[in-house]
Amino acid sequence: MRLYKKEGNSLQILSSPEDDMEKGDYLLVEDTNLNRKLITQVIDVQFASVPGLLEELLRDSTTEEQVYGENFDPLGVSSHINHIQDSRMLICKIRGTIVNDKLHANSSWLPCRSKSGITKISFNSLLEHVGGNNGLPINVGETKDGSPLNITAHDLDGRLNIITGKKGTGKSHLSKLLVLGLVDYGATVVVLDLNGEYAGLGFSANGGGNQYSGRVHVLTPGANFRVSLSQTWLNVMLKIMIHALGLPGTSTREFKHIWKSLSQQGRFTLQDLGEAIRRCSCNMHVRDALFSRYHSLANSGFFTDNEESAADFGKLFEKTKKDGGALVINLKDISSVDRQIVLEYTLGNLVNLLNQWKIKSVFLFAEEAHLYLRETYWEDIVTRMRHFGLFTNFVTNQPDTIKENIYRQADSIFLFNFTNERDLETVSKAARVDSETVKSIAQELPPHHCLLIGRAVKDFPVMVKVRALDIKTMGQTRLFFTNHLCDVQELQKTS
Amino acid sequence: MELSLNSMKNIESNYLQPTETPINQPPTEHIENATTILGIQHPSTIKTIRLEHSLDEKTVVAVDVSSIRIGETETGELCAIRGAIAWREKNRYKYQRMGPFPFHITEQNKKEIYKLFRNHSFETSEAPSITNIQARIGNLLERWLQLGISCSAYDTIILWDGSMTAGMADSPVDEMSRLLEIARNRLSVVLAFSKNTTLRFSGHKLTDYAKKAEPPCLLQINGFPLFSGPVLLLGEVYVAKLTPGVCSFRLDIDRKVPRERGIEAVQSLLGSDLLVQSYPETLRLAHIFSTFTATEVIGIQRFIAHQYGLKIVTRPNVRRLLFGPFGKGAEG
Repeated sequence: MRLYKKEGNSLQILSSPEDDMEKGDYLLVEDTNLNRKLITQVIDVQFASVPGLLEELLRDSTTEEQVYGENFDPLGVSSHINHIQDSRMLICKIRGTIVNDKLHANSSWLPCRSKSGITKISFNSLLEHVGGNNGLPINVGETKDGSPLNITAHDLDGRLNIITGKKGTGKSHLSKLLVLGLVDYGATVVVLDLNGEYAGLGFSANGGGNQYSGRVHVLTPGANFRVSLSQTWLNVMLKIMIHALGLPGTSTREFKHIWKSLSQQGRFTLQDLGEAIRRCSCNMHVRDALFSRYHSLANSGFFTDNEESAADFGKLFEKTKKDGGALVINLKDISSVDRQIVLEYTLGNLVNLLNQWKIKSVFLFAEEAHLYLRETYWEDIVTRMRHFGLFTNFVTNQPDTIKENIYRQADSIFLFNFTNERDLETVSKAARVDSETVKSIAQELPPHHCLLIGRAVKDFPVMVKVRALDIKTMGQTRLFFTNHLCDVQELQKTS
Repeated sequence: MELSLNSMKNIESNYLQPTETPINQPPTEHIENATTILGIQHPSTIKTIRLEHSLDEKTVVAVDVSSIRIGETETGELCAIRGAIAWREKNRYKYQRMGPFPFHITEQNKKEIYKLFRNHSFETSEAPSITNIQARIGNLLERWLQLGISCSAYDTIILWDGSMTAGMADSPVDEMSRLLEIARNRLSVVLAFSKNTTLRFSGHKLTDYAKKAEPPCLLQINGFPLFSGPVLLLGEVYVAKLTPGVCSFRLDIDRKVPRERGIEAVQSLLGSDLLVQSYPETLRLAHIFSTFTATEVIGIQRFIAHQYGLKIVTRPNVRRLLFGPFGKGAEG
């Protein structure tokens, strides 16, 4: 390999086919005279522009189609000519400089073109060079050279992470892996599970229990996750009324009065609330508005007057305090209004509990959050809630539903395949990597492979094949032709 | 091939200085299809011969050879040679390429190469310079391929690239006459197409006379001297305009072939081969397949460096050092 060109933080390296370089590989350009090493990453592999190549190809294409012939090449020169034709130009991005075994961001120096040695370096060796991960490793999978890739739980702690990629590439799988990885270290995780995919986390692939059985708690609203009004804080209820049920300002004020007067009386039920609204001496329109919201609450099935069957949100977290655990809020099969009610309740209570230091911190995994989180929550989660100990991981296949400022503040991005230019354009706004790397590598990622960007990999983007998990797969798309094919095969056998 | 291997075996050098190839401009082959300048002392007439497509389809065979300078070593020059034979048979083109054969030409092995020339009756009275040997070796391979075709083809139209001018260092009269005679005896006709001619008639280039001619036709030039000193014309000289377009070529037809048979052969060529801009496709293919592209030159340099342990070094270009952007002109 030879150094050819440097432009800004891009490097072009001439390479031969035997070097076997691919996108994502790391190279160390070492200038022994200067005692410096340049860390570069291949973001594209192109054919080298060799003079006369077009003539060569034109001649060959003529041969293939209309002209038949033989070459008498007893000395075997043609293999060398083919070698030249196949020469590659590696388009690389400079990731840093190592001076005296210390990493520097400086890339303004030029290594010697003729004397610099260029060697491929594995990602783990690179991490060793720059002072790798310390403690609490979570094995994500393996890098291209087959060596395991660990990130550390510290790099998810207090951070904002985004897992994104197109449908069916393995986002949820990685999300589950991270959830269990955090649970392993005693962390409390809340999963907003839109499609009921996380319900199998406590079971192994064969259906039996696994090591997480006692630590994964699936909460299904209306079933094992119901709450009583008396356990609900007013501020949480107001959020439900305003944001989930769209109660106007005047009616909200009236509702607040009603709620306070009921609270002063002690415990109260849904029926009490309904009666209070009926008796309320307010404007008829206000009463109608309150009644319609009241019916929404009552019909959601999320609220119950039975205190025994009602879940104490604070106590739910008690279960996860000792050994860690995951609370999976199963949002499958519930209407969007009910979903909003559950989420406003869950997030409102979470913030209250964190505020009161009843829980230390929570890792929140939100699948397709744009479908249920209101706009104002985004900024709140990224800026304010982070300081209270709510660390969010967004999982989405529609990157444009997440605001640009969130990408800019994301600490790590787990990027799966995208072919759509617009999607890649959105993700490339992340501050921790250049857009060329994102666009070039992400477009060619195979399923279950992701590009890790950001703090989790010390700002050295790396491609990783996400490891398999021994958990029960849930939330698979129901297919018509899977069974149909079996039927056809059965029919063919019998005939 | 042996000569190639022997010459390369004796490389006593540590480095190879590659030829500077202009970027995006393929190197051109070095063999000059030399057309000797013969003065037309007594011009008489130019006669137009109308041609018709012959339905008598014949096999058409063409030969071409290219040589190219690859670089230099401490002791000599490196060049490479490749030959190509293309033929059209039953509406199908085929080809056979020979080479590339690299050569290392030094003052020491020049004699060995002379010996080879002498064995093939080539003129060796004066020692050519190392740089001229490259073209000589190329021409030697070309004559060898032409001989092979003359001996093996029967009732075929044989196309040469160049003229039938004999008596020069690269075209000894005996050797050239033998090639034509063997072809004649096997009922084949040799047609030699020159892309460039220096022959002039009344001050005008010979091929200019075909501008207004209605194709397909031949212009027969009468009044050429058969020989001038050692140089001898073994062919009847025509200007061929075989298709509409701006191009016409000097065409030499074996003088010892009856005139009518020669013209019939051109008419057979019209019916047997594809002609673009008056040039036979078979001959064009032979040229294409023998020519070296810039990629191949780099590949051959790599082969030599790899096979003989030479280090490729680039010496500073004196012209460029002295004249900067004004030093782009021809070397020397």
